[in-house]
Amino acid sequence: MFWRNNILAVLLLCCTWCLATSEEFHEALTFRPLQDGRLATRFTFTTLLRGAYPRDPSTLQEEDESQHYAIFPLALGQVLREYAVTELHLTLNAGKWDYDHWGYPDEPGVGTGAELWAWMGESAARSVDERWKGLRNALSGQFCASLGSLDEQRTTSPELTFRPEGSLPQWGTTHQLRHGTLPSEHVCTENLTPFLKLLPCKSLTGIASLLNPHRLFDADWHGLGVHVRYLENEGIEVRLSFQSVFDPVRYSNGRRDWSLRSVFDRVIDRSCPIAHSSEIRVAIPKEETAVAITPDSYTTHAGFVYFNVSNASKPLDISMSWPDEQKFEYGSSQSRGRLSVSITNHMPITIQTSYLESMPWLLQFYLHSLQIYSNGVSRDDLISIVSYIPSVPHVRPTLFQAILTLPPKSTLHLSMDVIKPFLRYTEHPPDAQRGWDLPPAVLVPLLHSNSSTLDPGLSNPPSGFEQLRLPRRMYTPVLLVDLATPDFSMPYNVIIMSCTLIALIFGMVFNLLTRKFTLIRVSPEPK
Amino acid sequence: MDFGLVYPALVAGRLLLAFAPLPDALKHDHQLSSPLTSYPRLQEGVYLFQHGIDPYSGGLFRHSPLLLSLFSTALPLNKFTSACLWTACDAISAWALVKIWRARQRVSQSSRDSLIAAIYLLNPYLLLPTLALSTSTIENMLFLLSLMFASQGQSSPSLLALALLVQLSLPSAIFIVPMILLLLSDPVSRLASPREFNTYLSSILAKLGTFLGFSFALTSLSVLVCGNWTWVEQTWGAAVMLPDLTPNPGLWWYFFTEMFDHFRPFFLMVFSAHLLIYVLPVCLKFQHDILYATYILAGVYATFKPYPTLSDPGLFISLISLFPETYQYLRYPIVTTLLHLHSALLLPLFHHLWLSQGTGNANFFYASTLVFGVSNGAALLDAIWAGLRIAVGNLPEGYELIQK
Repeated sequence: MFWRNNILAVLLLCCTWCLATSEEFHEALTFRPLQDGRLATRFTFTTLLRGAYPRDPSTLQEEDESQHYAIFPLALGQVLREYAVTELHLTLNAGKWDYDHWGYPDEPGVGTGAELWAWMGESAARSVDERWKGLRNALSGQFCASLGSLDEQRTTSPELTFRPEGSLPQWGTTHQLRHGTLPSEHVCTENLTPFLKLLPCKSLTGIASLLNPHRLFDADWHGLGVHVRYLENEGIEVRLSFQSVFDPVRYSNGRRDWSLRSVFDRVIDRSCPIAHSSEIRVAIPKEETAVAITPDSYTTHAGFVYFNVSNASKPLDISMSWPDEQKFEYGSSQSRGRLSVSITNHMPITIQTSYLESMPWLLQFYLHSLQIYSNGVSRDDLISIVSYIPSVPHVRPTLFQAILTLPPKSTLHLSMDVIKPFLRYTEHPPDAQRGWDLPPAVLVPLLHSNSSTLDPGLSNPPSGFEQLRLPRRMYTPVLLVDLATPDFSMPYNVIIMSCTLIALIFGMVFNLLTRKFTLIRVSPEPK
Repeated sequence: MDFGLVYPALVAGRLLLAFAPLPDALKHDHQLSSPLTSYPRLQEGVYLFQHGIDPYSGGLFRHSPLLLSLFSTALPLNKFTSACLWTACDAISAWALVKIWRARQRVSQSSRDSLIAAIYLLNPYLLLPTLALSTSTIENMLFLLSLMFASQGQSSPSLLALALLVQLSLPSAIFIVPMILLLLSDPVSRLASPREFNTYLSSILAKLGTFLGFSFALTSLSVLVCGNWTWVEQTWGAAVMLPDLTPNPGLWWYFFTEMFDHFRPFFLMVFSAHLLIYVLPVCLKFQHDILYATYILAGVYATFKPYPTLSDPGLFISLISLFPETYQYLRYPIVTTLLHLHSALLLPLFHHLWLSQGTGNANFFYASTLVFGVSNGAALLDAIWAGLRIAVGNLPEGYELIQK
């Protein structure tokens, strides 16, 4: 009797132990410094349920077998079993991903708003559309997002674009795709909290403790994603991800150095004990400027630096700095600023280019403050001003034309002070806080490949020079300048207050100047 | 304290301060210089002029062509010469103020000389714009020189200095009438014993003719320097049309920022006329002491000028040192002082909050300019009251003084 009970207990223990080891939890955090000074971060929390299969949709009318999960999120698992979902992808993003400056994201789903798509097998018992509706409502309750409004008016089946990322089990039925997007959905802490509840260590220990909603939702771009897929010979994988693009230059004083403390306002105090692997990866930027990464306990592989969070000394704060770099951006106020252009000449010969700046009358140049620096050395001989027509407010723009000489393999920095005007009430556009767009500057390289009469100031071109093709015109990016705005609700108030003050002073001066002095007796005549 | 010791010491101190490494932001500060007096704009105008571009074709340069010709030919503008020149202007102004005081008291020297020089040279309202290299220092110097020559009865130098002043700043035309009247009387204090002003119309017209002759000559010189008449609209026209709405401690800029275009000409006319209507009444009321009338008009100029800087109320406050007989009759000097302190501290703070930090908006700075206007107005009113009250003298027992 005793042994029978004990054997049962031992067997149960073995079962749970087997079940426990068949679940694996990996967490990773990847940092990628971007070329415009921003920092792309990506949290990945992967739970793998080994040996598990998605629910066969043909068994939908029967009672489901009980599922026991130790690490795998129960709420999500129940939703997946209820609607027999093979593959599920949900992303909630905010911001616009700038492919030009930030490259390609690690997680491809960066569409703004909510995007939900799922591959489900057909079933006679309950139709795919019925299960899609149930799935939407269940997930909207789970993540506090209004996914329930992704009804048939917003649902499509674009099978060519959204291929399954895992494998679809062979049940004899075809799988169907349902996809819906809600671009106006906002992401906030309300969505992050249930997201964190799906993690085994929640947000108490490990990498997930860095998820500080104050900082995450202040980032230039942020998005959370839930991806469930079935991998043949492996099992069901749930990948919870949070991608964001931070701007360290904004937090610090013009430098793009960052650390866990400066980006997330937190450090890692304890590592998650359940995590099978817990690591932080930092991509080493490809530029030549020196980079310093602390702490020293990292391994390098294939352009990445790896930190093992479980072994590292706690509290763990990783930082990356560019010690030789000066300010990354120029500060300015709303009354004046500094316009700067930097042109890099990659070729081994001197190039002369004409530089045209036509600026609307809003921004007025201080031409006497024009400074030219080539590779850090001030070189005033590299510019010759051809013409300058100053602007007349409300009438004509500034026209500035100059010839720049670019030495071989160097970078030229041109900068000058500008003052920003204070516009009248009626001159501001309706969205005055947006600012004014400034047209691009135009550069025209003047050296021709077949010219026989080369400028004597240029160096001798190397042989094979005739194959050189210079662009005809190059444009700098468009700038946005913000000007000081008056308070637009105030015209009446300003007029009455200023006029009151002037009238009061005038009135009192008038009184004093026009009235006569008289003596009056206040106390009775002394007897 | 001996004037011969104190004065050189103060000037040397000022010179040292001018050569000290000061932040560059001082030159761009909106309280210390206006678009009509700003040093970077002067540099830009001289630079364009030297490179063959007409500086008056844009809207940036609003200084007089006389300054343009001075700084592009005779005096190059660099750190050393600017510091020396601006300190010299302040030193001359302080010396002129002392001479005016001596002329008023009819002495060749007195014990208050050093105090008067110190009040001018150590006044923060005048010290900071000089360090910011604002050309309002030159305007103050010309005004005090004109006043000094008028106090000594030398009409030609006085009117020449006044003509130069009007060339630099058009609103100072309000000083033409009191200066002419001062030349025809004397600066001795007669506040306590008013009497009729007796003169001939012909002598007034003669002085006016001299002034107009000087003005015409200087205007022709300016046209010669420039080659055309565009400078008139950019310099004198700016004081009337207010094209540049850069914030300053005055009352005009925000009023005309928020104004709809339909009403703009009317209110420009009203504000300009308002400045002129004070001239005759003040001169008539204080005809027994024209120097005091000039002092009152300096207060009006500081409060209601189109592009004021801190140096205009600074001049008014420094001139108060010439009239110690009025001190006992001032009704609320402490209130005025505290209001000035209050607004002088708030003006740069709110300016920074609005334009540099971005956490405040324009209304903060506008409110502080209103407080500044109140403080200037309070000083002006107290000065008028004190000047009139002296004439009544001591009150007998049981009597009160009112105005009806």
